[in-house]
Amino acid sequence: MGERNTMSDSKAARLIEEAAAGHKETAHRITVRPAQAEDVPALAGLLVRLKRLNEEFDPLLKVRMDAEAHATRVLETAVKDPKMLVLAGEGTGPDQGRVVGVVRAALRDRIFYTPEVEGVILDIYLLPAFRRKNVGEYLLAETVRILKEKGAGIVTAEFPAQNQIAARFYAKRGFRPLNATHAKII
Amino acid sequence: MVEVLPRSRPGVEEGGRKTDQELEEARSREAEEETRGLSERAVDLARHFAGKIEVIPKVPVRTLKDFSYWYTPGIAEVSRQIHKDPELAFELTGRWNTIAIVTDGSRVLGLGDVGPEAALPVMEGKALLFKYLGGVDAFPIPIRTKDPAEIVATVQRLEPALGGVNLEDIASPKCFQILDDLQRSLSIPVWHDDQLGTAAATVAGLLNALELTGRKIWQTGIVLLGAGAANLATARLLKALNCDMGALTVVDHRGILHSEREDIDELMLRNRWKYELALTTNEARTQGGLKEALRGADVLIAASTPQPGMVKPDWISTMAPEAIVFSLANPDPEVWPHVARDAGAAIVATGRSDFPNQVNNSLIFPPVFRGILDAHAKGIPDVLALEAAQALARQAKVKGLTREHILPTMAEEGVFPEVAASVATKAVELGIARAKRTKEEFLQLAQSRMARPKELSRVLMKNGLLPPMPGQESD
Repeated sequence: MGERNTMSDSKAARLIEEAAAGHKETAHRITVRPAQAEDVPALAGLLVRLKRLNEEFDPLLKVRMDAEAHATRVLETAVKDPKMLVLAGEGTGPDQGRVVGVVRAALRDRIFYTPEVEGVILDIYLLPAFRRKNVGEYLLAETVRILKEKGAGIVTAEFPAQNQIAARFYAKRGFRPLNATHAKII
Repeated sequence: MVEVLPRSRPGVEEGGRKTDQELEEARSREAEEETRGLSERAVDLARHFAGKIEVIPKVPVRTLKDFSYWYTPGIAEVSRQIHKDPELAFELTGRWNTIAIVTDGSRVLGLGDVGPEAALPVMEGKALLFKYLGGVDAFPIPIRTKDPAEIVATVQRLEPALGGVNLEDIASPKCFQILDDLQRSLSIPVWHDDQLGTAAATVAGLLNALELTGRKIWQTGIVLLGAGAANLATARLLKALNCDMGALTVVDHRGILHSEREDIDELMLRNRWKYELALTTNEARTQGGLKEALRGADVLIAASTPQPGMVKPDWISTMAPEAIVFSLANPDPEVWPHVARDAGAAIVATGRSDFPNQVNNSLIFPPVFRGILDAHAKGIPDVLALEAAQALARQAKVKGLTREHILPTMAEEGVFPEVAASVATKAVELGIARAKRTKEEFLQLAQSRMARPKELSRVLMKNGLLPPMPGQESD
């Protein structure tokens, strides 16, 4: 369910530069690092918050009762999977050591198209108190940078089609609609 | 919270103290009977009078010839001049004193969504209050749409006829967006009384309560119980007053509002105003309910849909010494004044006229509109609402500031023109007044314009042009 947005290599590069420039400013808000197994419970909580947010946009995104257990399982596997990328955003200052943001992304081979490797941002979530002040932008830029390091030549993001906030967030950063997912209950 | 009728005081303070439950039972029985009596009579009177306001000429008509000034051919030149300079409408027509009371009927009194037709009698009553207390020509305009964008568009199209707009009984949270959009897009003042009227009256009382207990607003820990139209506007005015927002705690039916509450993303999408508060208040990230919020707090402002026992006396006892408690739900406050005082509250205010310290929006909206209309104001920024609150707080001191008198009562009529003049003068200072006068001039204008409807009523009643109340012996 949702749209994928994409962006070209040159724009990704520029975004990374911009993020690097803004890094000092945002550094006191969060730090971003690859997630470890011990982060999983906190990350799972954030992932479920994101899914509950998605639920607000579409009744077809109704969150299952056992979503948190599944989030935990998925993350436990993903942190060890070389084709997956899980990042933890950690608070700074009084919030040091607290996981306040999560990214889950996948590296996929594009067998028909070039660039051949796609970095897919499946989930990205920050606690509201850490949003704005370019923190989300920094988190995205870090994700893009690492995906590129891992060989991705194109980056896409999945989110509910009705989520205009996400659409604007990505559009501002050079993403545009690429694929569309249309759904009906059968 | 519009309440101008004096109410009989229930047997709360007399004789031996009853238990809370006995008191509440007795009070609700009394209230029920009282309300039933009032309701029946109100329906009879509505049928008898069939409407509460009418349009009457304000120019002399000696013979039909006079219509050549009031209407064609003379009036064409007036029209031409306004066509050249539309702002002249504020001088050459009654626009300066004309407002619309606009509602979609989505949250009428405690009745809920009764629709525009059923809202009309209430809006007529409000129009009567506007005229009688403020000298304002107010037209009740219930409209048949619930869509915020359509409400905004409708009011925008009415602007040429109006000197101001009062939004009334529109449900939260859509009322916030509607007010914001209209304040931004119109060049006349737009007010939502359920938000700003109540909030300004609350802040006025709070300012005096803080003074009496030796507090400064920026060092005061305030708890807001309820996150509806009134309290969100109170928070907005507190912010404009330089209140320490980090020390403010908002509690709603789901407990303390904080930036990591389960429903936070839902709020981001559905109630942006409450979401903003969640991010800026409660810096300590206290979690839990009212009990946790009240511990050590200086002030409780409750403006909620009360549930029995939602404010426990034990919790008030944990507040800071010399605590201030505003319990504003009507007719039954969240906590009864004597209960709050027994629990240690130093100053208690309610929404009711039968207890001391009535926080009443009728103290605010008549002088606010008198002031902004006399100044032909282009808008009503929050600082003007604050000015009204501060002026009202000052006026309470005329009769003397005490813990039982932090606000003027409706009977202290002299205060209204003073508040109106303060508002008008502030509008001039802010550069949003089309009519620039001195405070003294504004005061005289307000005095005569607020006195006139009462005098008119008196004279018309005396000579029988206003019919007497039917069955007067029962009044």
